[in-house]
Amino acid sequence: MRRAEPQPTSGWGNNFHSLGNRVSASSIAELQEIVAKNGSSRGLLPVGLHRSYGDSALNSGGTLIDMVALNQIDIDPLRKSAVVGGGVTIAALERAALKHSLFPPVVPGTGFVTMGGAIAAEIHGKSHHKTGSFSQSVRRIVLLLASGEITHLTPADPQFWATVGGLGLTGIILEVEIALRELQSNAVDVTEYRVKNLTSMIDLLIRSDNEFEHTVAWIDLSGDYRGRGVVSLGNYGATPVKIGAKDSKGPSIPSVAGLNFITPLSVKAFNEIWYRKPLKTGPVSLPKYMHPLDGIHNWNRIYGDAGFLQYQFVIDVGQEEIFEKLFAGLRGLKAASFLGVLKKFGAASQAPLSFPRPGWTLTLDYSMSVPGLEKFLREFDQELVSRGGRIYLIKDSRVEAGLLPAMYPELNRWREIRMAMDPNQLWQSDQARRLHLC
Amino acid sequence: MLNGFKSIGRLALIGSGSEIGQALVTKLVADNSPEVILIGRDGDFGLDITNKAAREGLVNQLFGKGDLDLAIIAVGVLGNNSAKSEIENLLDAMDVNYLGTVHLLALIAERMQVQAHGTILVISSFAQVRPRNDNFAYGSTKAGLDFYARGLAAKLRGTGVEVKILRPGFVKSKMTAGMTVAPFAITTEECATFAMKALKSKKTVTWAPSLLKYVAVVFATMPAALFRKISQR
Ligand SMILES: Cc1cc2nc3c(=O)[nH]c(=O)nc-3n(C[C@H](O)[C@H](O)[C@H](O)COP(=O)(O)OP(=O)(O)OC[C@H]3O[C@@H](n4cnc5c(N)ncnc54)[C@H](O)[C@@H]3O)c2cc1C
Repeated sequence: MRRAEPQPTSGWGNNFHSLGNRVSASSIAELQEIVAKNGSSRGLLPVGLHRSYGDSALNSGGTLIDMVALNQIDIDPLRKSAVVGGGVTIAALERAALKHSLFPPVVPGTGFVTMGGAIAAEIHGKSHHKTGSFSQSVRRIVLLLASGEITHLTPADPQFWATVGGLGLTGIILEVEIALRELQSNAVDVTEYRVKNLTSMIDLLIRSDNEFEHTVAWIDLSGDYRGRGVVSLGNYGATPVKIGAKDSKGPSIPSVAGLNFITPLSVKAFNEIWYRKPLKTGPVSLPKYMHPLDGIHNWNRIYGDAGFLQYQFVIDVGQEEIFEKLFAGLRGLKAASFLGVLKKFGAASQAPLSFPRPGWTLTLDYSMSVPGLEKFLREFDQELVSRGGRIYLIKDSRVEAGLLPAMYPELNRWREIRMAMDPNQLWQSDQARRLHLC
Repeated sequence: MLNGFKSIGRLALIGSGSEIGQALVTKLVADNSPEVILIGRDGDFGLDITNKAAREGLVNQLFGKGDLDLAIIAVGVLGNNSAKSEIENLLDAMDVNYLGTVHLLALIAERMQVQAHGTILVISSFAQVRPRNDNFAYGSTKAGLDFYARGLAAKLRGTGVEVKILRPGFVKSKMTAGMTVAPFAITTEECATFAMKALKSKKTVTWAPSLLKYVAVVFATMPAALFRKISQR
């Protein structure tokens, strides 16, 4: 077990920093020792790679337990499944699975996400309309409880569903069994279309969901905010492609104090170039298709010292009007977002705090230094709630606690299950404190 | 907890009767809706700041219900109650401005260190710069408080907890009603603007108005005879 001096830590959005102690454990016995010996009233929190954007993986005054050393991977080609440690990354699992022509059915936009983080956030990918969210392929979770006991949870247990989307507040995910899907090759056959506005984007996504395993649209929210963009559709392909250089060799954005590359002009210029780029068609390697930004390390640093936030919400089909309000508001603020992402979700999972549910999900990135952004988003949250929408908590650093019960009507059910699993509040996070989750 | 914009989630105003404190809270809630806890005679909690057990009880209550991001310490008496003797007034000022306030400051700092975050704003005074015949008793208590707060600020570096000191000059308020208005006088509203500046500043000490920083240097280094003459006006 390694302990480090408290140092300021932030989520991927690099906005708010919090001082927590950090220990890293490389075995279950060490984790049990950490749990047994905790004497601080500020509690413990298991963390992965801090790819959550806000304060989900922060615990000021308490202890962060770094899980990345729990990285063993066991693939069972016959059962088409994998048993993996809580610290294994999606990228590592993909590499191991691809050797057996297998692949995790649900992967997020970056491969730098651990199994623990994937379950605690109940992540979704471009395949949500077909496969549902991450938990749909999880057969078993091995969880270390606050009492020090180890429990094996399956989808038949309410504790399983409290842990899925449970933001690290039910215990430490030690090991996971995941169902993998069989592939013919390591490639996705991609088709892209340029669309001039939001209406055509929505139409195309609706028409394509049936035929394509992966659907997503990149939307340009700068300039005239009409929502032009590129719709990207993909199916697992039959023709293999050569996988390029390892992602770890990619370029890295240095940290330069006081620098913020993101201005309405630079964003507009970037989005313009990107909109005009040649469209992709044909086979693309799975990792490259799934995790387009993973070649550039620390891209979050382009936002400079102020940091940024990612705002992601879901709204029912039929409520598309809300996009117009959003776009008008953002135009008013002159707030330009680097490529936004629009996707149509399929069915929800049973997890009380799971974010995805049928409807449209839109994701936008903004520098914290956009004047008026805080107030605007607060007002937009109200509008969202009045239309029955909600935001994704793993990306959040600013929603008002009072809106949560409306966004997540099963919050209290989750609280009850959680309370029974951790009556002495061992698991704590800054987000849990800010949103009065526990 | 602070949010991603570093906006305050929960704050306490200790000395809810303080007009500077009230004006500051008004500014703090303008863009955001933090939970505000008012402590004082007509606040959410009463507090006899001269009572040790009351101070401890208050801090337990405050921190028992969640993290505190900001404590504004705006208690203080001038010690000019005409119904009391000079010595009694001195004792009052010492009890409230020094003993009570410094103890409270130390208790809050201790709890914020456990949280590993939080800011304490201490309202000091220009009066602590150099003793003047008409207010050196008051000034001495503020000097003691200011000295302690500066030491605490330095000690807490790197813990996530910050102590900020605001040193206002003459502020036109109920507290100073009837007194001769001094040069560089500001309104409570203006003073609150400087308090906002203090909260954002990387520096420990903020003067209100800013110019007082230089006036203080002049005051502190001025020959005694000249100072006597000026302060007798
Ligand atoms: C570029 C990028 C693209 C992304 N794309 C997507 C996407 O397409 N879809 C999507 O859904 N999300 C996406 N995300 C969000 C990301 O998937 C989640 O934030 C995920 O939780 C990050 O995992 P992590 O390992 O970094 O966990 P951290 O950020 O370190 O922690 C996140 C949460 O997981 C908990 N946790 C971590 N490990 C454990 C454990 N072993 N046991 C129990 N709890 C644990 C923590 O306590 C915390 O609450 C993206 C993020 C980035 C930066």
